[in-house]
Amino acid sequence: MSGGYCFLFRQASSVAPVPVTWAHRGRGVHYFVTPLLSRVITFALVLASLLVLALPAWAENGATTKGVPNVVPPKGEHAGKHVEQPIEFPHDIHTKVNGINCMYCHTYARRSKVAGIPPTSKCMGCHSMIATDKPRIKQLTEYWEKREPVKWKKVHDVPDFVHFTHEKHLKRFVFDNEGMSVDRVSEVCAFCHGDLKQMTVANKVKPLNMGFCVRCHEANKGPFDCWKCHK
Amino acid sequence: MSITNLINDWSRYRKGAEEGGFHEYEHQWAMVVDLNKCIGCNACSVACYAENNLPVVGETRFAKNQGMHWMRVERFWDEPDLQPYVATASNSLDAWIEGNPPAPRSALKPSNPAPIAEGMLERDGKGFNEQFGFHGTKSEYQDFGGSFLPMMCQQCHSATCEPVCPVAATYHTPDGLNAQVYNRCIGSRYCSNNCPYRLRFFNFWSYYEDAWPEPLHMQLNPDLTVRDKGVMEKCTFCVHRIRVVKDEARMENRKVKDGEFATACVQSCPTSALVFGDKMDPDSQVAKLWNAHQVKQGPYKQTKENKELRGYRILEGLNTDPSVMYLERVREV
Repeated sequence: MSGGYCFLFRQASSVAPVPVTWAHRGRGVHYFVTPLLSRVITFALVLASLLVLALPAWAENGATTKGVPNVVPPKGEHAGKHVEQPIEFPHDIHTKVNGINCMYCHTYARRSKVAGIPPTSKCMGCHSMIATDKPRIKQLTEYWEKREPVKWKKVHDVPDFVHFTHEKHLKRFVFDNEGMSVDRVSEVCAFCHGDLKQMTVANKVKPLNMGFCVRCHEANKGPFDCWKCHK
Repeated sequence: MSITNLINDWSRYRKGAEEGGFHEYEHQWAMVVDLNKCIGCNACSVACYAENNLPVVGETRFAKNQGMHWMRVERFWDEPDLQPYVATASNSLDAWIEGNPPAPRSALKPSNPAPIAEGMLERDGKGFNEQFGFHGTKSEYQDFGGSFLPMMCQQCHSATCEPVCPVAATYHTPDGLNAQVYNRCIGSRYCSNNCPYRLRFFNFWSYYEDAWPEPLHMQLNPDLTVRDKGVMEKCTFCVHRIRVVKDEARMENRKVKDGEFATACVQSCPTSALVFGDKMDPDSQVAKLWNAHQVKQGPYKQTKENKELRGYRILEGLNTDPSVMYLERVREV
């Protein structure tokens, strides 16, 4: 950690104080901690965050660490902006705590181009009985009684000139993939949508650009014809 | 990795007919146009406009050759001497039944013109004749002897447009189609200048801004891009429809069936003058027609055993190896 900018302490984290650069100009507060103490705190925080990240993996008995067979997962990260949804839908509760399969709600993923946002009737199938006292469910019930659709906002949007089918990708990665079970479909979804078990509302965490697609097609021997995807 | 990939694929796809051509086709989509059946109604052209988000450019731009008709019906007045066939007592159906067949049409040429029936030249204010319709002698064009030639991209197997593209935006797909990738196109227009059929169309303007005013934008086909200014485009053999049936067939682990789908022009043709299909499938209607007319893919000169057969390909002497076969129009003589 020399010469870099440490976001944890809002301070240039080199031993000698560095001149004010664009990175921390105008940020107002500068915490001046002695270099030794700053390193101790950093170490402690990194350790703590590692522990927090590793915990869910242990809790799931190492299921996520095995990986999907016969697939090289696509590489790439993206810091998508938080999308404000009409109801803050908690993906983590549904998938991680309750263990619901992704394709229970996004049922069209295995049989059409789009995965589909479930209709309110699907939500009410459970939530006419379950957790009816929670504020978000009350909000949902309001929509249901008003007979209005919830206007969910699209998070993962590929451009109009791209042809992408969920069904073919699921066929290759899940249904025709030997040693892969449908119960673990969320790991395949995570290739492009990130680990929804760690999110409430979905966030775009993969770039979903042409490089991202082509790298995966190259690694997994997908088609390379331009007209397979471009329309 | 990627560079070797590019180079290998490049030389694989860029083979001319003289080098034996590209042989790793999955499909060879092809068409047959029967000019005997074509009545020049332009339904195919209209269907193409509706299907492929083609803008109607207006009269002035059209006059400057900026029309965006991927499918056009060319009109030729090749038999100016042809006269209307008018039923008279001597050539009526009744006479035929009684054993007097009608005179051949050649007998109706000007040396022996058809008798003009009484009242045939009379018209109302709008040029309409109640008994004989619009046919008359004072029309801008001749009333008889026209013939029609529907022209769409010929999907040449050694296309002249492909090697001249500086950015490889147009290339040959394993489906035997001549693809145009809009995202790659930089609008150099070399391809259009090199196409002997003049079947590539350039977006000189951002047509989408005014071609579909407010309620009309709902008619746009979501399976296709709406092209912007500076991009070349052309008939794709309705590749979005091909994509759908191929996806479906793939999901059911089978091959695409003949007649499972048709392009928009084929679907709308009222006389079934157009036939579309996969020429690689020997049972398809298209393959059977090509075989029946002894037209082969590859050679630039057809060697037919039977010279009477009507099949031919337009400008095939240029060695473009088109995938569209036309069946010559035969007049009754």
